Amino acid sequence: MNNPVSKLVVENLHLKYGDNPILKGVSLALNPGEVVALLGASGSGKTTLLRSVAGLEQPNEGRITIGDSVLYDSAAKFDLPVEKRNLGLVFQSYALWPHRTVFENVAYGLRLRGNAGGDIDRRVGDALSNLGLGALAKRLPHQLSGGQQQRVAIARALVYNPPVVLMDEPLSNLDAKLREEARAWLRELIVRLHISALVVTHDQTEAMAMSDRILLLNFGKIEQQGTPEEMYNRPETLFTAEFMGSNNHLPGKVAQVADGKALIEGEGWRLWGAARDELKPGDAATGVIRLERTHIADGAGENRVRTELITDMFLGDRRENLFKLGALRLRCYGNPPRGNGECFLQLQPDDLWVYGTSEAS
Amino acid sequence: MPFAKLLSSLACAIALVSASYAQVPAGYPADYAKIVDGAKKEGKVVVYSTTDAKLVTGLIKDFEAAFPGVKVEYTDMNSTEVYNRFVSESAANATSADALWSSSMDLQMKLAADGLAAPYKSPEAAALPEWARFKDTVYATTFEPIAIVYNKRLVPAEDVPKTHADVTKLLTAKADKYQKKVTTYDVEKSGVGFMLANQDAKYDKDYWELVKALGARGTNMQSSTGTMMERVSSGENLIGYNILGSYALTRAKKDPSIGIAFTTDYNLVLSRLVFVAKNAKNPNAGRLWLDYLLSKRGQTITSEQAELFSVRTDMTGKDSGTAFAKELGSAVKPIAVNNDLLTGLDQTKRLEFLKQWQTALGRK
Amino acid sequence: MFDPSMTTRGISIPRTTVVAITALVIFMPLGLIFWQSFLNAPFFNPAHRFGFDAYAFIFADSDFWTAFLNSVLIAGAMVVIALPLGAALAFLLTRTDLPWQRTIEVLVLIPVFVSPMVLAFGYVVAMGPVGFYSLWVKQLVGDVPWNVYSLFSIAVIAGLTHVPHVYLYSSAALKSLGSDVEEAARVVGANPLRVALNVSLPMTMPALFYAAVLVFFLGFELFGLPLVLGDPEGHLVLSTYLYKLTNKLGTPSYHLMAAVAVCIVAVTFPLVLLQRWLLKTAGKYVSVKGKATRQKVLPLGGWKWVALAIVAAWLMFTIVVPISGIALRAFVDQWGEGINLADVLTLDNFRGVLDAKDQVRAIINTLLIGTVGGGLAVACYTAIGLASHRQSGGVVKILDYIVMIPRAIPGLLAGLAFLWIFLFVPGLKELRNSIFSVWLAYTVVWLAYGMRLISSALLQIGPELEESARTVGASGARVLKDVTIPLIRFGLLASWLLVFMIFEREYSTGVYLLTQGTEVIGSMLVSLWSAGAIDQVAALSLINIALVAVGLAVALRFGVRLHE
Repeated sequence: MNNPVSKLVVENLHLKYGDNPILKGVSLALNPGEVVALLGASGSGKTTLLRSVAGLEQPNEGRITIGDSVLYDSAAKFDLPVEKRNLGLVFQSYALWPHRTVFENVAYGLRLRGNAGGDIDRRVGDALSNLGLGALAKRLPHQLSGGQQQRVAIARALVYNPPVVLMDEPLSNLDAKLREEARAWLRELIVRLHISALVVTHDQTEAMAMSDRILLLNFGKIEQQGTPEEMYNRPETLFTAEFMGSNNHLPGKVAQVADGKALIEGEGWRLWGAARDELKPGDAATGVIRLERTHIADGAGENRVRTELITDMFLGDRRENLFKLGALRLRCYGNPPRGNGECFLQLQPDDLWVYGTSEAS
Repeated sequence: MPFAKLLSSLACAIALVSASYAQVPAGYPADYAKIVDGAKKEGKVVVYSTTDAKLVTGLIKDFEAAFPGVKVEYTDMNSTEVYNRFVSESAANATSADALWSSSMDLQMKLAADGLAAPYKSPEAAALPEWARFKDTVYATTFEPIAIVYNKRLVPAEDVPKTHADVTKLLTAKADKYQKKVTTYDVEKSGVGFMLANQDAKYDKDYWELVKALGARGTNMQSSTGTMMERVSSGENLIGYNILGSYALTRAKKDPSIGIAFTTDYNLVLSRLVFVAKNAKNPNAGRLWLDYLLSKRGQTITSEQAELFSVRTDMTGKDSGTAFAKELGSAVKPIAVNNDLLTGLDQTKRLEFLKQWQTALGRK
Repeated sequence: MFDPSMTTRGISIPRTTVVAITALVIFMPLGLIFWQSFLNAPFFNPAHRFGFDAYAFIFADSDFWTAFLNSVLIAGAMVVIALPLGAALAFLLTRTDLPWQRTIEVLVLIPVFVSPMVLAFGYVVAMGPVGFYSLWVKQLVGDVPWNVYSLFSIAVIAGLTHVPHVYLYSSAALKSLGSDVEEAARVVGANPLRVALNVSLPMTMPALFYAAVLVFFLGFELFGLPLVLGDPEGHLVLSTYLYKLTNKLGTPSYHLMAAVAVCIVAVTFPLVLLQRWLLKTAGKYVSVKGKATRQKVLPLGGWKWVALAIVAAWLMFTIVVPISGIALRAFVDQWGEGINLADVLTLDNFRGVLDAKDQVRAIINTLLIGTVGGGLAVACYTAIGLASHRQSGGVVKILDYIVMIPRAIPGLLAGLAFLWIFLFVPGLKELRNSIFSVWLAYTVVWLAYGMRLISSALLQIGPELEESARTVGASGARVLKDVTIPLIRFGLLASWLLVFMIFEREYSTGVYLLTQGTEVIGSMLVSLWSAGAIDQVAALSLINIALVAVGLAVALRFGVRLHE
């Protein structure tokens, strides 16, 4: 279904709105058949990056190519207009044309490419049935549910077989329940059709579920990129560590450094953790540990902290407990001991990542 | 003491009487003082008029000087508005005019015929010609000949028509020059225009030929003298037919482009009619105003300052109707103030005339 | 249009009163006109009888049918001319990188605020057979290639002067168009022109239809333009035919005039209803915007100059030509063929205006009506708007429809109807001679317009702001006083300025209400024009334009957006 030699390459893209830099030199490569997630908070530049690839934003510097075609090259002062880039884009708001039927919405791209009528009918029919929309061909957008509109938007983007499909927050407009089902379904679709996709999302769970690789953006720069496992299990910076997963944070000061481990201490506690930065004693640091790696212990012991249980929350498949450690709040799963509320938590040194922080934090 | 009292009251009485005597205009009967006093008590006279306020500022000032204590509340509107308002207000018994002074002769006669005018024999009536008064109720106050105006810059002297037949001849002979360059009243839109056309038809046996010529030349039909004169002055039109002479003369004083011609076969004369309203709230003041308009004093001012020729038979100076009438002799045809004017207001007759007019024009 | 999510139960008595008063001031004049049309004489004439004479007369009068046909033709031509131009202008100014957009936006709206009488008169002086421009062209090419008095010219001028109305609605629609639907079209392969034709245009169709209906409707009501330009060659439209009936039968024939008015309303009222329906349908095209992305403007490249040339040509013809004509006429004492302009420049005309007490009074009255009257009118519109704010149900629906009605009545007849009301309704006689009568007529005639201004201001307030006040304990009335009104005060200010400008240029409504003391510039212009005092007309018009310009400048200074 794809053009096999269509690797999307973005080189050193810079983009400024007036004096405000949005993208500060971003590079990425998308291999055919790959799904890459552009992950980040609002203002990180992920949507701007996506739109720049589509041609809807004007970068100041850099190069964008797809296979042999150049889409944008600042050195050569070349900027291919949007309508000539032949990419698919699924908008966050779906952007269906309200005055056209579902069929016409999807067919428009083919009509512009001069396909014959019979051909259009066939291809649109295929696209619609691929997405389970066969019965809705004659409806107007305002007669569809949110989920149905989303699928029409996707069908529209795929019908003319673009080498790359761009998706802007494809799941954020859906209800929470639908979102979970939709991300599975979307992943299945992408895999089945061998689509190369660039997906923008702010939800790290979504990014991990849907993509082969994640690019985490932080204020216009790539913080880290890698497979979902790499991003989750081996975060290189504090930002990445905190962005992925659900965590406990323990800000404190480094007391000792030995053998790749650092002893971090705070008010009423000291713990050994894995040193992820160049640290020396006296440095301000933060320890980050995933919730699922924080365990309830039966008593005092090595690398444990004494906390007080504040409350617990029943989440259906597990219990989440909230503990108080001085001014800190720690959470973990499991059944807390009965008793006077005192509880010990075990934080293994390998799981507690210690990163250096600047003085301010 | 009683004698002193008697003397002082007598003195007061004499003073009062002589005071009022002092303001009764010369030649008026003694009991006119009652009207003057009544007017002073009323304090004002409400006049609805079609005469431009600018033209009568001098007149109003003089009236107020002659009769201190009587203010003039002067509203000038066009003739339909005068009629409209007066009729509506009278029907509603609301405050309305005390005196109506309008150049729309037929409408004034209709109001009188409908009983809205108060009969009043003016002491000045004797000085007016026969045609100028109706049953001691409605009076003509001015003598305004109808004129033909032309653009002095662009119309050569030999083209200026001297009779109505000349007009027809000019328009037929010099068709090219005068195509779309003539203007006159739209008799459907203008009451004055209609009245003049009616009168023309009465006096001119070849009137319909003239109308045909007007139609053939694509004549511009307007609804007011002012617009017609504006167009003649600018040269957009070369000739204006049936223009109010008084306006033309006023305009010609400032505007060297305006030329005026009177016709020798017959020349219509219009007049502004005045009457006192039957239900006037200030009847005495109304009468005072009417008499003032007809008096020599008032007529002198109107003729000098407003170019509205005087109508009195005993005024023969340069701005008097009498002098003008002498010049044109028997050609002068003043429109008589009587009920003949009402035929034009009869719906059937009016529509018939209009239809005839439109057909002659070649428009329908 | 109205949010039924919050119903207030607290202030029903004042609300009912407001609605009742509104209904009264709307239906009285209309009812009077209706009733009058079925009589054979003025209703206050004791000899009047019920019958269809009036209708029989006008339907048998060929002039009526000619006027009707002309009205339809001109209205149609206006739509044909104004719609494409207005839509194109809106597209150029909202979607492309046309230079000087801010300035052009303001200039485009000028014809809305200049009185049509003044514009028409300007065309006569500028482009009439011996107009300034005509004579210059004659010198160049030997002849004047146009006739400003032909039906064609009237239609063209009417069309061009109504471009701003189409522009207002089209640009509002384009601005609220989500950029994502246009971007989506570009991504699937449509170039900018195709986007405009396949996406932007169809999605703004409802707004364009609305504007088309509005222009057609305004074409039916056209009065000042055909009065001045139609007279010389006798081209009649319905409103000037009505005006002509004032004299056709010798005495003013109110019943005929009322019958014609009823015919006009019979055409305009359905159009008003159609407009409402279109407004509702447009709702389904409201796009859900995603993240606020900046609308990418279409670069015009070389076409920029072509577009600018077209815009300049329109501005030139619609604004510069007539206003320069008036300006020139105001400063000379004669004009025309054979006159050297330099010889005749003078300030006498202005002196003449200042000397004439009634004209000075007219200027002062107009200012008063615009400022104080405008403010009072806005207060009334606000009261009515608040009465139906956040309400649903019968009363509100009724209000919705009845405020449309006055728009359908020609201003001329509305003024006459108000004169009768003031005369014959007991208790109102004393107020007739005061400027109150003129103010009331204006306020009622412009009711629909004022209501739109107020309701769009009210729509800006999210219901949560008022709901939160209720939950902390404020009563319905206090919410209005402490939350709603303070929040819309900027919108109220904007409305006041816009109403000021509208009242300044009004002319037909006051014609019959003109008395000593209640003259306003607009109706003075009509009567001066009829009397032929053209130099005064020019000077007074220029003063009127200056007043409106000041209002416009103040409005812009306060950042009032004229696009509501």
